[in-house]
Amino acid sequence: MESPLHHFELHPLVEINFLGLDLSINKAILAMWAGMAIVFFLFKAAGRKEGSLIPGKLQSVLEVSLEFIRGMVEEFIGKEEGKKYFSFIATVFFFILASNLIGLVPGSYTITSQLVVTGAFAICIFIMTLVIGFTRHGGHFFSILVPPGVPKIMVPLMVPIEIISMIARPISLSVRLFANMTAGHTVLAVLFGLAMSASLALGWMPFAFTIVINGLEIAIAFIQAYIFTTLTCVYIGDVINLH
Amino acid sequence: MSEDNDFRRGMGFAFRVGTELVVSVFVGTTMGYALDWFFGTKPWFMVAGLILGGAAGSLMVYKVAMHLPSGEDEDGER
Repeated sequence: MESPLHHFELHPLVEINFLGLDLSINKAILAMWAGMAIVFFLFKAAGRKEGSLIPGKLQSVLEVSLEFIRGMVEEFIGKEEGKKYFSFIATVFFFILASNLIGLVPGSYTITSQLVVTGAFAICIFIMTLVIGFTRHGGHFFSILVPPGVPKIMVPLMVPIEIISMIARPISLSVRLFANMTAGHTVLAVLFGLAMSASLALGWMPFAFTIVINGLEIAIAFIQAYIFTTLTCVYIGDVINLH
Repeated sequence: MSEDNDFRRGMGFAFRVGTELVVSVFVGTTMGYALDWFFGTKPWFMVAGLILGGAAGSLMVYKVAMHLPSGEDEDGER
């Protein structure tokens, strides 16, 4: 029987070696391109047509979801400040959602089940928050390491704790998304393996479960994209509104 | 709408707290281990890092929980 982790393995489809770098195209890269294309063309198609005032169905759905993201950005970053970051946050949300959902199509690949991908997202966001913090507050930014109202005697203890929780942020951000996606797909693979190896009299049971779990995974795809973007907002908001 | 909102917040909270607690301990211990390797003081920094990481994780969970709306006000009504 195949290992339930087999479908996470990547094999190059087109080998490309450029200046000693392995730039081979594999399933994950195709899935990522598909995700980008879906998000791009969805919004392109939903954009308001010339001369029509009544929004179409697709446009209404996307407008509601953008409103929802705007509410999130305003809540965590602030009404005025949030406008600058709204497009970034919305892009992150829709791209992660698209990649999570593409992974649920049988035969495709979930790019968010690779720690490299989620780690790259999280590190970019972490560096971005540091840059925003230093450009806005300068040297005063270091006061993020000392929470307000801490007695002087506690400062040597609080600084390492705050440094640890600072560094834990990008790691927990990436690990959460990666672990949830990997776990869900492994469960699906195990159940499907059971369905395939059992006789028909018993095999329908795990197969029915794969259908149920697939539905659950769709919900998880939305929730994980939501959590990733909420936490991005929280982290950006933290460095903008220092205490 | 409000109930849906509560559900989403609750799910967010649930997924957030679990990983954050674990990752903080992990990061603290790893940083301590790295300092030990650098200064050659095995295992003291690692022990300190483990404790501080646990403290950081608990503090983070506490902070998140303090911001969580309870869904009930003081007389227990919605």
